[in-house]
Amino acid sequence: MNQRGRILGIETSCDETAAAVVDQGRTVVSSVVSSQVDLHARYGGVVPELAGRAHVELALPVVTDALQGAGLDRRGRSFEDLEGPLGIDAVAATIGPGLIGALLVGVSTAKAFALAWGVPFVGVNHLEGHLYAAMLEAPELELPVVVLLVSGGHTLLVALDAPGSYRVLGATVDDAAGEAFDKVARYLGLGYPGGPEIDRLARSGDSSLIRFPRASTAGALDFSFSGLKTSVVSYVRAHREVANADVAASFQEAVVDVLVAKSLAAADEIGARGACLAGGVAANSSLRQRFGEAFAARGMMSYLPSRAMCTDNAAMIAAAGYFQLERSGPTPLDAGAVPDLQLRSSK
Amino acid sequence: MRILAIETAVIEVGVALADETGPLASVTARPGRRQAETLHPAIADLLRIAEIAPSQLDAIAVDIGPGLFTGLRVGVATAKALAGALGLPVVTATSLEVLVAACPSAFGMVVPVVDMRRGEVAWTMPASPEPGFRVGAPGELAAELAALAAEGAGPVLLVGDGALFHRGLLEGATTPAPVFAGPELAAPPVASLAVLAIAAMRNGTCCDPAEVGALYGREADARINWTTREAREAVSQ
Ligand SMILES: [Zn+2]
Repeated sequence: MNQRGRILGIETSCDETAAAVVDQGRTVVSSVVSSQVDLHARYGGVVPELAGRAHVELALPVVTDALQGAGLDRRGRSFEDLEGPLGIDAVAATIGPGLIGALLVGVSTAKAFALAWGVPFVGVNHLEGHLYAAMLEAPELELPVVVLLVSGGHTLLVALDAPGSYRVLGATVDDAAGEAFDKVARYLGLGYPGGPEIDRLARSGDSSLIRFPRASTAGALDFSFSGLKTSVVSYVRAHREVANADVAASFQEAVVDVLVAKSLAAADEIGARGACLAGGVAANSSLRQRFGEAFAARGMMSYLPSRAMCTDNAAMIAAAGYFQLERSGPTPLDAGAVPDLQLRSSK
Repeated sequence: MRILAIETAVIEVGVALADETGPLASVTARPGRRQAETLHPAIADLLRIAEIAPSQLDAIAVDIGPGLFTGLRVGVATAKALAGALGLPVVTATSLEVLVAACPSAFGMVVPVVDMRRGEVAWTMPASPEPGFRVGAPGELAAELAALAAEGAGPVLLVGDGALFHRGLLEGATTPAPVFAGPELAAPPVASLAVLAIAAMRNGTCCDPAEVGALYGREADARINWTTREAREAVSQ
């Protein structure tokens, strides 16, 4: 790869079609996200076939916009010199985890761009992408850091030792944190997506009214949320008069308590310089506040990515693609999508 | 004029190169569900065999369906991206048009039939006044064939995987029975798509890749049962 290390990243794992151009895994040149949330809202969840169809329509326009944001035309050439050299050094795309029909559109699009331009293709683990989100916004960030990755599908504690080098310290043994938010929101009759609804409602509730259990797990840095969800349901059944706002606030408090306590324990264990939040649930206002306060009290830096960087985007995929290309080289063109891809410690 | 053609709509992954003289090279496989794993290496191999660089292409052709949803998405997304990245136009054809183009022109009445799963097929009747294609149960196709025969039409050639799949039912539709093309025409041959596309380019029938979409032939099934919802939650980020 040449000195510039300019990567086009493509992300289509769920209901966002996204593309971005990132230099050397650190500098976001352009980033475009087209959300399908309105398309799926009336079904109360993402419809895989609708998502796949929308990605086919949106992938090329979104990539074109991202290239344009980097001063390049659709052919990857500078607008100042349309017959000049190619302005992109490699094309990265999410290969998993995600919806198979959605992933395949991004993978097919990225491989086609790489093939047409004669540059490497890099197939990226979406979860690894989330690890770099904070770094993209905070270039001063010093490693190692603990990353708490919380989303609808995942709850992970990861030690990021160096770009491309990380260790999984803990994970959920049952539900993901975001999944617990969604299930409780649905039980309380709130809208979709459930996380932001609980967050909003909790602001007017009393978080100390109900003491929901903080589950312990065999692994000190693992999580369990299914018991909490069950106890919310049985509490509401037994106390029909309870206000939704108080349930939401008390439930959220229980989730945040566990997430913050285990993040602190993980930081101690690896001697971290700081801690980062990542993933869709990292947009939760209570989690952001408590996470920031807890690490500040220990004299450690915490990095809270912007909402746009917490949710799915392609800048983080381009960053992961850059580091992966440096460490392990290109991905062969016969690679497919892997819907249930896990995040495992790097070698 | 050199065209790269992509066929993933039915049961084959095929890529072919053609110019005004006809097909130059092609690669075809039946990879099961592994269309995305097969298509891009096949394109790379094809270009290498033909000693042609991507920058020497003049257009991309793609079968836009009807057919199997996953294959269509892989083929259409790839064609759009290749054409976008190279600054080329796209020629589109339906799977049914390509099947007809692959049959000997001496055979007057050709009915292409593509299997759509869930007990449905897509087809076009010869000289049908309606544009587009029909999607329905094979029994409906059999009734249309019987009506055609009753009007005194000559023998009909049925082509495509849908015809082979429902041969038992369709054979009894007319007397004498329709003629069936062989399994080599189960999927639209990619070389026929490439030749069609050369003719289309001569007539200027092409478009910008951003305008190209797939013809699925069926609305998306938007019902979500509990199982698929759980699956969705397991992957939504
Ligand atoms: Zn995500």
